[in-house]
Amino acid sequence: MKEMILQGLAQAYDNLVHMIAIFVPRFAVMLIIVVVGWIVALALRYMFRAILHVTRLDRISEEAGASQVLRKAALPSISEVLSRLLFWVVWLGFMVLGVSMLGIPELHEQIARVFQLLPQIFIAFLILFFGVLASNFLSRAALLASVNAGHRSPRVWSGSIRFVILILAISMALEQIGLANQTVTSAFSIVFGAAMLALAIAFGLGGRHLARHALEQYFGNRKTEQEKGQEEPSPL
Amino acid sequence: MAVEAQPLWYKDAIIYQLHVRTFCDSNNDGIGDFTGLLQKLDYLQELGINTIWLLPFFPSPLRDDGYDIADYTSVHPNYGTLDEFRAFLTAAHERGIRIIIELVANHTSDQHPWFQEARSSTNNPKRDWYVWSDTDDKYKEVRIIFLDTELSNWAWDPVSKSYYWHRFFSHQPDLNWDNPAVFEAMWGVMQFWLDMGVDGFRLDAIPYLIEREGTNGENLPETHAILRELRRLLDKQYPGKMLLAEANQWPADVRAYFGDGDEFHMAFHFPLMPRMFMAVRLEDRKPIIEILEQTPQIPDSCQWCIFLRNHDELTLEMVTDVERDYMYDEYAKDKQMRINLGIRRRLAPMMENDRRRIELLTGMLMSMPGTPIIYYGDEIGMGDNVYLGDRNGVRTPMQWNGGWNAGFSGADPERLYSAVISNPVYGYAAINVESQRRTQHSLLAWMKQIIHVRDSTPIFSRGSIEFLRPSNHRVLAYVRCYENKQVLVVNNLSSTAQAVELDLQDYKGSIPIEMFGGNLFPRIGDASYLLTLAPYQFFWFRLRRI
Amino acid sequence: MVEEILLADDFVRQLMSVGEVDVLVGIPSFNNALTIANTVQAVEQSFQLGFARQRVVLVAVDGGSGDGTRDVVMNARTEKSSSGRGLTSLRTEQRVVTQYANAPSAGLALRTILAAADLLRAKACAVVSPATPNVTTAWITNLLEPVYRDKFDFVAPLYNRHKYDGLLSRNLLYPMSRSVFGQGIRELHPSELGFSGRLASHCLGQDVWNQGDIQDAPEIWMALTAISSDFKCCQAFLGTKERGTAGTAPDIVTAVRQNVGSLFWCLDADENFWMQRATPEAVPSFGPQSELTTEPMNLNRQRIYELFRSGVQDLGPILETILASDTMAEIRSVTAQSEEKCRFSGELWARTLFDFAASHHHAVLNRDHLIQALVPLYRGRIHSFLVEHQDSTAQQMEADTENLCVQFEKQKPYLVERWKAKA
Repeated sequence: MKEMILQGLAQAYDNLVHMIAIFVPRFAVMLIIVVVGWIVALALRYMFRAILHVTRLDRISEEAGASQVLRKAALPSISEVLSRLLFWVVWLGFMVLGVSMLGIPELHEQIARVFQLLPQIFIAFLILFFGVLASNFLSRAALLASVNAGHRSPRVWSGSIRFVILILAISMALEQIGLANQTVTSAFSIVFGAAMLALAIAFGLGGRHLARHALEQYFGNRKTEQEKGQEEPSPL
Repeated sequence: MAVEAQPLWYKDAIIYQLHVRTFCDSNNDGIGDFTGLLQKLDYLQELGINTIWLLPFFPSPLRDDGYDIADYTSVHPNYGTLDEFRAFLTAAHERGIRIIIELVANHTSDQHPWFQEARSSTNNPKRDWYVWSDTDDKYKEVRIIFLDTELSNWAWDPVSKSYYWHRFFSHQPDLNWDNPAVFEAMWGVMQFWLDMGVDGFRLDAIPYLIEREGTNGENLPETHAILRELRRLLDKQYPGKMLLAEANQWPADVRAYFGDGDEFHMAFHFPLMPRMFMAVRLEDRKPIIEILEQTPQIPDSCQWCIFLRNHDELTLEMVTDVERDYMYDEYAKDKQMRINLGIRRRLAPMMENDRRRIELLTGMLMSMPGTPIIYYGDEIGMGDNVYLGDRNGVRTPMQWNGGWNAGFSGADPERLYSAVISNPVYGYAAINVESQRRTQHSLLAWMKQIIHVRDSTPIFSRGSIEFLRPSNHRVLAYVRCYENKQVLVVNNLSSTAQAVELDLQDYKGSIPIEMFGGNLFPRIGDASYLLTLAPYQFFWFRLRRI
Repeated sequence: MVEEILLADDFVRQLMSVGEVDVLVGIPSFNNALTIANTVQAVEQSFQLGFARQRVVLVAVDGGSGDGTRDVVMNARTEKSSSGRGLTSLRTEQRVVTQYANAPSAGLALRTILAAADLLRAKACAVVSPATPNVTTAWITNLLEPVYRDKFDFVAPLYNRHKYDGLLSRNLLYPMSRSVFGQGIRELHPSELGFSGRLASHCLGQDVWNQGDIQDAPEIWMALTAISSDFKCCQAFLGTKERGTAGTAPDIVTAVRQNVGSLFWCLDADENFWMQRATPEAVPSFGPQSELTTEPMNLNRQRIYELFRSGVQDLGPILETILASDTMAEIRSVTAQSEEKCRFSGELWARTLFDFAASHHHAVLNRDHLIQALVPLYRGRIHSFLVEHQDSTAQQMEADTENLCVQFEKQKPYLVERWKAKA
């Protein structure tokens, strides 16, 4: 009996040593790959940033209003954001490769699943980003146009446009990730449809007097102004 | 306006070739001089040329019109002094005109002190400066150039009792370029003139510098090595100066003289010139296209020099026997007009004083690839005198006006170095600068205009050439192209009116703008482009996309 | 790279037939059938009166009219001049008509006229608007003669106008271009102008014709190019500037976008020139500098004031990005005043415009949005102008304009400082 126990322990000890002997080199390889990956990712980050600097992306982004969005979100400039993103993508890729060298299939599987999701997340991020840009740009354009045209409540127009585009962008981003697709789509349709219906009812029924008054005023003003004389002097 | 520093200035040059003796005599000794030439610089500036090539003006016994040089670093007293030359050089530069002078590198006069020393004794330090032999058997494969006057390339020297080598006249012994001392001496000569400010050299007779047994003594590798070394020294110590090669060879052989851009900057395109005359006579473009298609590419920094006539005979060395016979029959019926292997006539008489043909040939000269050279007097259509000896018939005094000695000199007419042309057709009363200056549509006025038009674009001096081949062989048409801009040149080589249809598909959409009048021609479309040309007429069109 | 083809085959053929000319007058048109015949007649009578010996051509370039404008031009008959001397040109009168595009474009129209002038090597050229109903023979002659006889390269018009017309020029384009570029051209966006063939070739050869910013107001670019490229400029008095047919004049927003956009683009393009320019030079004038009529005009000042105030309020965050903080603070204090007391001073206006110019240069936001944000402030300035000048005489208004220009000139170092500062 004593011998069996000793034999069992010896066996277990041997197995452990064996497992360690197999695992340690793999772990070392993983570490090397991760370190090399870090160096490569860093080099690529600097190169990419230099390239973006040459293409003057920061300047274009400033003009498009994207830089302001980033600043509000306490993010650095767009070239910095993109180059850091590249760094992480590359390094994570090397990490996955390293982890795969450990030879633990379940772990590898999980990481792979996360990685499969990464492109979708990236695209969703891009959709959101451009959606924010578009909402900024178009809402500002609407604001300027309605201010200069002398419309009442120009911020309402501008805000509405921003709201609609943002909602659209968020919905598209969530759909891209595949997060509760049906729920999001339905919710968006319901909210958007309801909002439109509410506006129609409000304007058509509840605001019909106001609507009539506004229209009368608009067309009436034009006639009155024509009778009164011009509103503004000719600029040229 | 001063000469501007520009490394490739020779590509944009328009060269005027003259001998100082022929141009203007300021001291009434019957011979042109540098002071007289200086007085005529305004005329040349007004003409529009920007470079003067001076034929040899060095001390010389003048048995080969100055190409037999007795002193490389001085001025023949007939033409003035070194100071007068300097004054002329300065005045030319002030007018934006560069000066190229001759460097007769292959041989000297037998009166040159170097030869006098060399022949005096076989032990003289300069003995080896020339090529000596005890017999005249060496270098049997080498041809004789001056066939009319020389029977051999060896001449017996009674002083040193041995033979000396001469590729030209017997009084022009060849220098021995195998001797480094000769190289040093000639480089010293070049430095003398370069330090004074001359802008370049035309190196005379350079294929013949070196001779070797068993060869034809022309274009040998050792010759090229010498020339490369000269060029290297020039570039190092005198950047921006130019070397022009006189190598009467086939284009493929002349190509070697450009090296890889490390030998000559420019070289004459001898074979093109007789073919231009031939094409006009044949009323067929074939000779011109053939020779230009045989012409190899040259390095970007190099340039061909093209010309119609010069101080020598119109050489027919680089043509076939059939072509030579044709040229003699058409242009030199009178045997008096022939010398060596060529024709000793000027442009206007060869064109039978036909203004249209003179303009056509000049138009081709100005529009073909290369730097053009105008021989003095051709801008007013001067005539020649084939009854003067050697090639002196094309070296008569410049005709300035219809007065005393054609305005060339105040000396007695009998004292002139050469009689002025005086027949009713080409004589100075009929053909002179002053009359043509007063006439709005004279040949001189036209020459100024064509030089001005050529100068208005770098396409002619720097551009490539693409031949069009319309079915009408009497029309020579080509497109010059440079930096995405094109000029279409169309020449009617025929004495009768011609119609021609050109395939200009590659330039579809462009509007041809005639360059002399500036008028628009129909835009190039899908169909062949139809042009009609009067006898000997030519067009230059700028192709503009707008 | 193959260059685009600008001129239609038919147009080239017509130009070919005309050949070299001494004088060329271009008329850019779009749906001007009602008024263009008068313009054609005025041009051709000016040829008869002033250029009887010269080679002349009228070039009408049309942007795709649907009302038969081109036919009207071709068929317009010109009576012999009314001078009684039976003057007529010695040469064939040339009239060329082309359609340059299917939709009107000021930039493309001008470019086509410049191309014609260049190809025909015209010495003196003019452009005349067919929308100006009262163009006379004298107008054409006054534009051409300074070029043809006195060798000027650019002739800008001067008009007799109502004191409240052309306020964009008077308050913005003129003082700003004068102070920055050093030469004061009153009508920087003229519908009539004269120029030399030399200037035409120069402008045609510039690589700007695809720039959207100058397409709608290419005359501004041409005038400022003439100044910055050292061409000789002058002004010539033409006459009373009558308004065109209703609906043809651009509204204020469009006018600001087009003109200020073009002006600011030129500031960017010619920065090396105007930064070095210290002292302004007078521009020679033929005829009176300006004439103003002062009959009463019905304007809704209250509305302009309200648009100014509400505009500043609603666009506050945007304006804060563009303007310096002290400029913005001062503008806010102006909006806090009542309508009668609200004054947008010349000095503040100069600083405002220079802030906008510098911010445009640094592209702090989309450039078109930036220019649109100027409109409420321009209204504020106009409001002040209307208040100050409701009883002014023409001389008083001229003096005020001169003062405004001086204000701008004093503020030029401020512009340079803001321009060079990092965004």
